Amino acid sequence: MTTSRRQFFGQAAAVSAGVALSAPAVEALAAEPAPAGLVDVVFEVNGERQKLRLDPRVTLLDALREQLGLVGTKKGCDRGQCGACTVHVDDRRVLSCLTLTATLQGKEVTTIEGIADGDDLHPVQRAFIDHDGFQCGFCTSGQIMSAVKVVEEREVRTDDQIREAMSGNICRCGAYPNILEAIKQAKAGDR
Amino acid sequence: MHAFDYAAASTVRGALDLAGPGSAFLAGGTTLVDLMKLDVLTPDRVIDVNALPLKGIRLHDGALRIGALERMSDVAAHPVVRSVHPVISKALLLSASGQVRNMASIGGNLMQRTRCDYFRDVTSACNKRRPGSGCPALTGVNRNHAVLGTSDSCVATHASDVAVAFVALDAQVVLRSKDGDRVAPLEEFYRLPGSTPDRENVLGPGELIAEVVVPVLPWARHSTYLKIRDRQSYEFALTSVAAAVDVKRGVVQDVRLAAGGVAAKPWRLRAVEEALKGGVAIERTFAEAAESAVDGARPLAHNAFKTALLKRTIVRALLDAAGAR
Amino acid sequence: MIGRPVDRVDGRIKVTGAAPYAADTKIPGVTCGYLVTSTIGRGRLTGMDTAAALASPGVLAVYTPFNPLKLFAYVQEQNDERFPPLQDTEIRFFGQAIGFVVAETWEQARDAAGLVTATYDQQPPVTEFPGRTLQAFEEVEEVVGTQTVGDITFTASYTTPFQHHCAMEPHATVATWNGDHLTVYTVSQGALLVQRRLSETLGVDAAKIHVLSPHVGGGFGGKWGNWAQVPLACAASRALGRPVKAVLTREQVFAMAGHRPRTKQTLAMTCTEDGKLTSIVNDGVTSRGLGGNWSESVANWTLTTYASPNLRVTKTVVPLNLGAATVMRAPGEANGSFALESAMDELAAQLGVDPVELRLRNYATLVPNTGKPWSGKHLDECYRLGAEEFGWSKRPKQVRATADGDWLVGTGMATATYGASRGQASIKVRLHPDGTASVSGTAADLGTGQYTVFAILAADELGIPVTRVRPDLGDSTSPAAANAGGSNSTCTNGPAVQVAAKAVQTELITLATTNPRSPFYGKEVSYRDGSVSSGGLTMSFGTLLTTCDVGGVEAVGTSPRLVDPEHGFRSFGAHFCEVRVHRLTGEPRVTRWLSVCDAGTIVNAKAARSQIQGAVVMGIGQALLEATEVDVSARFTNANLASYLVPVHADIPRIDVRFLDHSDPVISGLGAKGIGELGIVGVAGAIANAVHHATGVRVRDLPITLDKLL
Repeated sequence: MTTSRRQFFGQAAAVSAGVALSAPAVEALAAEPAPAGLVDVVFEVNGERQKLRLDPRVTLLDALREQLGLVGTKKGCDRGQCGACTVHVDDRRVLSCLTLTATLQGKEVTTIEGIADGDDLHPVQRAFIDHDGFQCGFCTSGQIMSAVKVVEEREVRTDDQIREAMSGNICRCGAYPNILEAIKQAKAGDR
Repeated sequence: MHAFDYAAASTVRGALDLAGPGSAFLAGGTTLVDLMKLDVLTPDRVIDVNALPLKGIRLHDGALRIGALERMSDVAAHPVVRSVHPVISKALLLSASGQVRNMASIGGNLMQRTRCDYFRDVTSACNKRRPGSGCPALTGVNRNHAVLGTSDSCVATHASDVAVAFVALDAQVVLRSKDGDRVAPLEEFYRLPGSTPDRENVLGPGELIAEVVVPVLPWARHSTYLKIRDRQSYEFALTSVAAAVDVKRGVVQDVRLAAGGVAAKPWRLRAVEEALKGGVAIERTFAEAAESAVDGARPLAHNAFKTALLKRTIVRALLDAAGAR
Repeated sequence: MIGRPVDRVDGRIKVTGAAPYAADTKIPGVTCGYLVTSTIGRGRLTGMDTAAALASPGVLAVYTPFNPLKLFAYVQEQNDERFPPLQDTEIRFFGQAIGFVVAETWEQARDAAGLVTATYDQQPPVTEFPGRTLQAFEEVEEVVGTQTVGDITFTASYTTPFQHHCAMEPHATVATWNGDHLTVYTVSQGALLVQRRLSETLGVDAAKIHVLSPHVGGGFGGKWGNWAQVPLACAASRALGRPVKAVLTREQVFAMAGHRPRTKQTLAMTCTEDGKLTSIVNDGVTSRGLGGNWSESVANWTLTTYASPNLRVTKTVVPLNLGAATVMRAPGEANGSFALESAMDELAAQLGVDPVELRLRNYATLVPNTGKPWSGKHLDECYRLGAEEFGWSKRPKQVRATADGDWLVGTGMATATYGASRGQASIKVRLHPDGTASVSGTAADLGTGQYTVFAILAADELGIPVTRVRPDLGDSTSPAAANAGGSNSTCTNGPAVQVAAKAVQTELITLATTNPRSPFYGKEVSYRDGSVSSGGLTMSFGTLLTTCDVGGVEAVGTSPRLVDPEHGFRSFGAHFCEVRVHRLTGEPRVTRWLSVCDAGTIVNAKAARSQIQGAVVMGIGQALLEATEVDVSARFTNANLASYLVPVHADIPRIDVRFLDHSDPVISGLGAKGIGELGIVGVAGAIANAVHHATGVRVRDLPITLDKLL
């Protein structure tokens, strides 16, 4: 049973192996239910409607990176242990590596590519540059996506509260003191 | 991650109908997706229960009732929770990270699996994961393992923080199946490993946690959740203690204590509670009472410190909760 | 411009998620490779069953030692793997690559890899350290003098555990062939390191291998070597005629991509009654993973730190069934300084002398083991400025003398030094008609700020704004510059950027005076601030190039390796810290930090400060949190970021950094030494000393966890 389904699965999955299907193709596909083993998901990413037909094993992180070409969100551990893959789903910061894309029907996803206003950086992005809140940059997308929400959290005020709120985002380069300063700048601007 | 069928349920009945041998319910996914990637869990069918109406946080009939699908962050921030049982909020806020708390549900939190690094590695033997294969933690790297409630089959700890607070507060869980609802005290919901560490709780096949019910206990507002760990955040407990204490005129009238990080399940410290009642609320009383916390403890090669640490954690938590600075 | 704080030139692309890392490479038709790894620590593979994996959906190939991709033996000694993957059946460590599954998608490859089974002829792995049953060998590293006597003697042993780099970016390689030309997008601390290794093992002319590594998500030594995914992705891509992307899982990074070895140092010191050292003996023991060759000269830091007429350092290497031990930020010094800086604190206590004063009494005005003068050393100023700014004089002499509520408070300090050297580097500077200048070399920016260093130095030399310089790093087709390692980048590449930026001015002047379209044709001209001038006429180089209809002028500048047998070269620093330990539950927390550094010319004050802070953060991890555990199976049991604890935000206090402003004219005209590693040296010692001051408990075994303080 398992083997046969896997077999079928894979054949069908070849359809979704590449990039996201073009809109007309999806409309055509969506007209009929997804073949067994695949799921259709319609959701918004950075304000754009996306329709994906995919293997339900595909996490949001892998869907963003491999299917939607949004590689700014990073895979640091793929286990929910580092925070590099942090994105917003329905305006809350979550880990995209532990989110199955199939569960996102009708949801709104925002990634690091979606927070600037055209060429105008988000204040948190600006603050990260001002305070050198990164070195290698690999955790930075996750740090910023987390920080955007921490800046909004009114109960997070003191340095220690900011540190605690940001502790789900590991930075091995050790930019923590500078990230703290960046968040304080952004919070000051937010008031 | 092995292939699986994905199905989203919109009603409890629908979810229960979809459930069967080899199926798994998916809420926040922070345990399930993680362990599926490691091949520790290999369900054939994943049933997305996020749309089920198991939500809501309310006071009803002398109890705080929390829907199983409420997210950890929402429960922690809820004004009723914070005013009635702040220890629940504190325990949640010391759990995992902001992102994980936004994802994980209360029901899922109670169902989370141990963080034992042998359990999580499929190349290792593990009686919990593969019954009868053995327990390398008994003689292996076991600094983080349990000293209480363990067996020769398993020395894993239960990883939840909020379950410790719940157990201290005599919380119950409402379990829903096709046969209807039943209610179990959370403390008894969890099973000790004995010779069957793979059976972690009393949940039947195709049964869901629907709700957590926490009796209101007015004096328990004087409470704390103290979590001791190597890293200051984003780490599971070496020891933790949920403490609520009712002190009048310097004397302990009543007290609730439970510990995490040290036992096979959230560990109510009844003997310590009894020893404390009627005692003067000072550090020496707390320290003397804490001695019985480790009765029957079975320390291993690397975690013997947890017996001393647990006693000190209890003292510190009681000092905090009693305001006996 | 040099020495001022400058925003990183790659800042915008990093905060917008646009900076391309290896795994981000998009190539149409790319396939996914997934490694299968050994589940025993020692023995021989007797068979593998790949049938289920091959039958699994989307799978294109499964390579094993029984169906290998041909790879030639590695030639050059390097601190990565001894043997290319899948070429033999010997299992040297748990998690060794024994298979490589290539499939259409990542999910398919991962699932299929789980279906591959292996049988082994198993032997008990050797993991005990220091160990009784091992074929360890001892070598004497260096002896100065022969006397080991003094009025006062002090002896103690210090140990450090296995640690892992844990760069946030897992090792990733994307390979694609066009005929017999290979293009590789990969993580690396130097594109040429990859090119050379691949040339050896693939049997391909290096000129046909193009390595691109423009942005690297942290290295710390772990990306100096090339690990199994690099040759496998390239060879599989060649065999399949498809691009292949291979990314190690976090668990695989722990098992196979290098670690800091386990060490033990036994220090025996003698001194006079007034605290002048008369001898230091440091017997070091280091592990070596049988997956590799490298081991750490853990005791050698003792040779160059304090003045002592007698010095003896030994090194015993203990081979273990583990993946390769490799360089990790300040290899030797990070562990070595923990022992000596702890011992100096212990000796100070024994003598009743202030720890700073003891260090000043044993100040090495000459290099202790060679007697040569230093190129520049202002460590005494670091001590004095640090002590003053930190408020060291207010420190109680007694241990366990200060409490703040339930927290015991203590302070500690330690010395930092790290070797400096200048290698050879070539850099190209090109001036473009749009008024910008590009600066290229094979150097890498692992987060070090090397891009910005290039931009600042070129801008400074050309007299144009930093924003008009476009640095181009991590491309093997660029001139050969220094790899990112050994705190060597800026002191080696920096002078080469200056040379190239000067040289291109000569080229520009030649163009200006010899190109018939140039308004300066046949005239005497000068170059200043981005413009060529003659008489009353001044024209920017962009306008000049445009006017001449020339697409650019360029020059390659080479700065030679510094050969100076007369001097000792090091960067120096002093750390001061405050630690709090809870009186009941014992957890140690760092609450205050000051580092004062003497590292020659600082090119970018902003990134340099960050780099020292980051090294201190990693040192706090080394001191209080980090230890990879190995059990009898030879598996690193906590090979993940939840169980191997690196510091999080909540662990890190404010970290103050001061740089002394002393250029080192001996090392180069630029005067820059290195700072990448300096910052971690001494951190663990300073913390151990502060923990002792707070609690009276001396912990000689890292990490200093609460169980050692209860």
